[in-house]
Amino acid sequence: MSEFPDPFREHRQKSGVLVCPFQGEPVPMILGYNELRRAAKDWQTFSNNAPFRVPIPSEESVRTVRQLPIETDPPEHTNYRAVTEPFFKRPLLPDVIERVRNLVGRMVERTLDRDQIEVLSEFSLPLQAKALTILLNVPESEADIWVEWGVRVFDVGDPHADGKNLDRYLTQRLDAAAAEPGADFFSYLTQAEFRGRRLTREEQMGFANLAFAGGRHTVIHTVSTIIDYFAGHPDALSFLRADARRIVPAVEEFVRIASPLTHIGRVCHKGAQALGEQVPPGGRVALCWASANRDENIFEDPDTVKLDRMPNPHVGFGSGHHSCMGAAHARLLLRSLLSALCEKVDRIERIDAQPHIEKEAAYTRITGFDRLVARFIRL
Amino acid sequence: MASITFITPSGATRTVERKDGSLMEAAVQNGVEGIDADCGGVCSCATCHIHVEPEWVDRVGPPGSAERALLELQDVTNERSRLACQVRINDALDGLVVRVAAR
Ligand code: HEM
Ligand code: FES
Repeated sequence: MSEFPDPFREHRQKSGVLVCPFQGEPVPMILGYNELRRAAKDWQTFSNNAPFRVPIPSEESVRTVRQLPIETDPPEHTNYRAVTEPFFKRPLLPDVIERVRNLVGRMVERTLDRDQIEVLSEFSLPLQAKALTILLNVPESEADIWVEWGVRVFDVGDPHADGKNLDRYLTQRLDAAAAEPGADFFSYLTQAEFRGRRLTREEQMGFANLAFAGGRHTVIHTVSTIIDYFAGHPDALSFLRADARRIVPAVEEFVRIASPLTHIGRVCHKGAQALGEQVPPGGRVALCWASANRDENIFEDPDTVKLDRMPNPHVGFGSGHHSCMGAAHARLLLRSLLSALCEKVDRIERIDAQPHIEKEAAYTRITGFDRLVARFIRL
Repeated sequence: MASITFITPSGATRTVERKDGSLMEAAVQNGVEGIDADCGGVCSCATCHIHVEPEWVDRVGPPGSAERALLELQDVTNERSRLACQVRINDALDGLVVRVAAR
């Protein structure tokens, strides 16, 4: 079996679609690269205008606000997206780049002083949280609170991950920011304008909720996948070290192969035909990023990691209007991670690994790890 | 050495000298407005979209298949569209003029 198995290959090749029941609702998953990109562009047919129902399974039970800007369509979406765009572009600023590099360097350095670490709880999660404090321009100590919430802020089907922690926290921080605005993300939300008016509290919560939920397990799984890959491929680090220009394409290849967001939903308000499957009015399809990223018509040897793959037109960060706003941040973090590993680490040894299994009615897929114990050895 | 001129959506022109690398790298290193190059040049983000001036289309050449797939879904694509990260600079492109696509 491949190191990175592709559970969608057979259906992608046969019909391009896999109908998978989620919470009893049969959802056609669009698997082929070209079909997926076309559907992602066609918002009139495949809409995001559906609170709680863009993620599949739906999230009515774990949050109370519509996530923004993701759960809207153009032209509303265009205006909503513009509200937080300036914050999500912060990773292009030299001092933000410097701070993220520094943080990653410190975190890698710390692993080298230890005999072994549990990568998720001691590296990926704190790294994700601390990096997010830089993006959101809040004190690094806030990360201590966020780490307490675990890998998934909320998880349909896990009674302990009900999203209440996040709601309470965001309400508190938005109250404080409204009373005394600073230069952080929460203050920004309380001051920002949408179509000539201030955002309502519900809208502020919608933006903040997504900033925490969208960039969490995606980043954590990708970071853990990278660490494990280097453990299994001792030559890979020296390959990157030999030419630092390989780091940028390597990051894109890790996002392609990990595809931490397997799929996301679109609602067909008027019903639709999707690759021969009839979707009733109000029914959904799923855009399966993980499958499109293995499409053999686009990617040669799709189940293999090629660190210098070029071109690499992957859709790990989505496609079209809703393409990931956190991509610049994620790329900065992952590029900094590869640089720091090249600079400081000779090799990584895997001691114990328990993959995270995403088990649905029609497919089973590995996304990252539940537990990964490793030893980092200094260069 | 090739001298390349970028015309930005706001109408500013910027001429840069370069002997190799990609058009995207030439633009980014010179801070040409509108070439964000989010993916760093692997042909995944389409934020380096340019229109080649008509008289240069033949010398620059057509897009590859991955590039074409990306371009097909952009709103402002025309028959002179390229992704700047997929165009290699060489002496034959000395004098090239391209327009940064508006987004
Ligand atoms: C490796 C890491 C990440 C991956 C693979 C990823 C993947 C994605 C994908 C596939 C979408 C498209 C969803 C759709 O079409 O409906 C998306 C949207 C989004 N992501 Fe990410 N993401 C990552 C990290 C982040 C981070 C770090 C943040 C924020 C801190 C973030 C914030 C967002 C937002 C706000 C959207 C919605 C954009 C819109 O609707 O216009 N993501 N992401
Ligand atoms: S830089 Fe991303 S496609 Fe050219």
